[in-house]
Amino acid sequence: MLEIKGLHASIDGKEILKGIDFSVQAGEIHAIMGPNGSGKSTLSAVLAGREHFDVTAGEVMYEGFDLLKLSPEDRARNGIFLGFQYPVEIPGVSNVNFMKTAINEKRKHMNQPPLTAAEFLKLMREKMEVVEMDKSFSSRGVNVGFSGGEKKRNEIFQMAMLEPKLAILDETDSGLDIDALRIVAAGVNKLKKPDNAFIIITHYQRLLDYIVPDIVHILYDGRIIKTAGKELALEVENRGYDWLINP
Amino acid sequence: MSEKYTYTPEIPEVFRCRVPLPGTHQAFLMNGKLRDEEGQGSAATIVAGEPLGFNLNVSKGTIMPDSLQIITVRDSDNTEPISYTNNLTFGAISESNILLCSHTLSMDEFKTESEMNINVSEGARVNIVVMQNEHNRSSHRVRFNINLAKDSFLRINIVSLHGKMLENEIDAKLTGEGATCELNGIYLVDGTQEIHTTVNMHHLVPRCTSRQLFKGILDDESKALFFGKINVSQDAQKTEAYQANHNLLLSRKAKVYAQPQLEIYADDVKCSHGATSGRLDEMALFYMRSRGIGADEAKILQQLAFVYAVLEKINNEELRQRLQDLVESRLRGEFGHCTNCSMNCC
Repeated sequence: MLEIKGLHASIDGKEILKGIDFSVQAGEIHAIMGPNGSGKSTLSAVLAGREHFDVTAGEVMYEGFDLLKLSPEDRARNGIFLGFQYPVEIPGVSNVNFMKTAINEKRKHMNQPPLTAAEFLKLMREKMEVVEMDKSFSSRGVNVGFSGGEKKRNEIFQMAMLEPKLAILDETDSGLDIDALRIVAAGVNKLKKPDNAFIIITHYQRLLDYIVPDIVHILYDGRIIKTAGKELALEVENRGYDWLINP
Repeated sequence: MSEKYTYTPEIPEVFRCRVPLPGTHQAFLMNGKLRDEEGQGSAATIVAGEPLGFNLNVSKGTIMPDSLQIITVRDSDNTEPISYTNNLTFGAISESNILLCSHTLSMDEFKTESEMNINVSEGARVNIVVMQNEHNRSSHRVRFNINLAKDSFLRINIVSLHGKMLENEIDAKLTGEGATCELNGIYLVDGTQEIHTTVNMHHLVPRCTSRQLFKGILDDESKALFFGKINVSQDAQKTEAYQANHNLLLSRKAKVYAQPQLEIYADDVKCSHGATSGRLDEMALFYMRSRGIGADEAKILQQLAFVYAVLEKINNEELRQRLQDLVESRLRGEFGHCTNCSMNCC
């Protein structure tokens, strides 16, 4: 599904990603762990197309085409989703209207007619249940006045609505209490299918108790320094990163 | 009930106001002259001023059930510069909702100057929405002279959508204890349009509150000036006064001159002021685009979000929605010429 080869990216001339290689197959959950400043958020932003970063070398193939050539909106319409670490507030734009615009742009891209109001509301209700979201959320401005936990749930809700093929969740667990964490993880597990894949970026093993990864990568100083199975996350939890950084 | 004003055949048919709500009473001021002088209703009376302008009076204790919309129109019948005075008097413990719109109907170069004397008596509550939508050869200057008595409340929301040169000068005096004055504004300018906003807020007695929030979006080579001053007199203890002016610049050539000022002579007050100017937020745009929303649409949504804080202060929900639609079509560039007019003059 996704193949990253020798990916380098920088911001204002400062290199953050210094050669990333890995690939993701459909049905897999990958976890990317690493200390602060190792480049985890940069990697997720580059995959989703944030123009803030310059890709200086390497390639990313997604479903057989060159991902880096697409605008962020075209990546989204082709099934890439980024769950933000800090979701943005959009006052005056209700969650309903925001999602309606997003869904219909995607459908237009796929040559499908827009959803009718009834179809849309039904879909919205179904997906709000996935993250145990209160009905009142739909008429409120996107993320406006939401607590940290509500914002993250809203990210998972948006993901559920858009049904991406590849979802990248950037520190979705940060700032969550245990109940919110459980709801977010349950949402991800409900959405996991054989034909989609997840990249979960996290600081802590905690989230991976609920979402069990197939593969764990350790990112440090812009490079993946170790890749192994789910047991690697536990080992990092117990021993920290030092043994990997200074072997 | 106030007298209901309706469209008359003399109003050019090209004029279609998109703002009025069902049940809104209307009065027209054509080139400064009030049409129909028979507005002697019991809720609000409106009579022509001499020689131009109007006098609006809401008597003591009257609660207006609906809004009164006063539509100021300039057209080719009189293309000379005009100036006139309007007097709006709100009696004690009355409640009023007034909508003041200004439009231009022909492509002439108009110059309009008006004084708007607003007197709010003890305990009265007044909501005024001002909607300015004039063409690109029209200059309009409005001076609001406001006086607020004890425990009265006045909120003015100004939505400036279009015009060559719009000047709003507001001089507000809080002369009775416990009075509250709220002034909010949105201005949207592009091309070589210019808008000036001047606010002088005078806190003359103790325990009054004033709040100001003005937000502008500027494109192309447009210009906005904001001069805002809060004066707190020595006696005006326990004053609360806030002022904010925020601007979003969409082009490198657009210019904002903001001058927020405070002059405080009392020592027990809460005051703040601030002005910012900035660009569209790259992170917010990326957030929307990452959901599949196109770059252009994301920019519009962000601009709408930017001015929403002002729209939200319009308490009539239906009116707010209509103004939001107008703001949205303005931001979408659908105001190539005024939508209220088929003259294609701008």
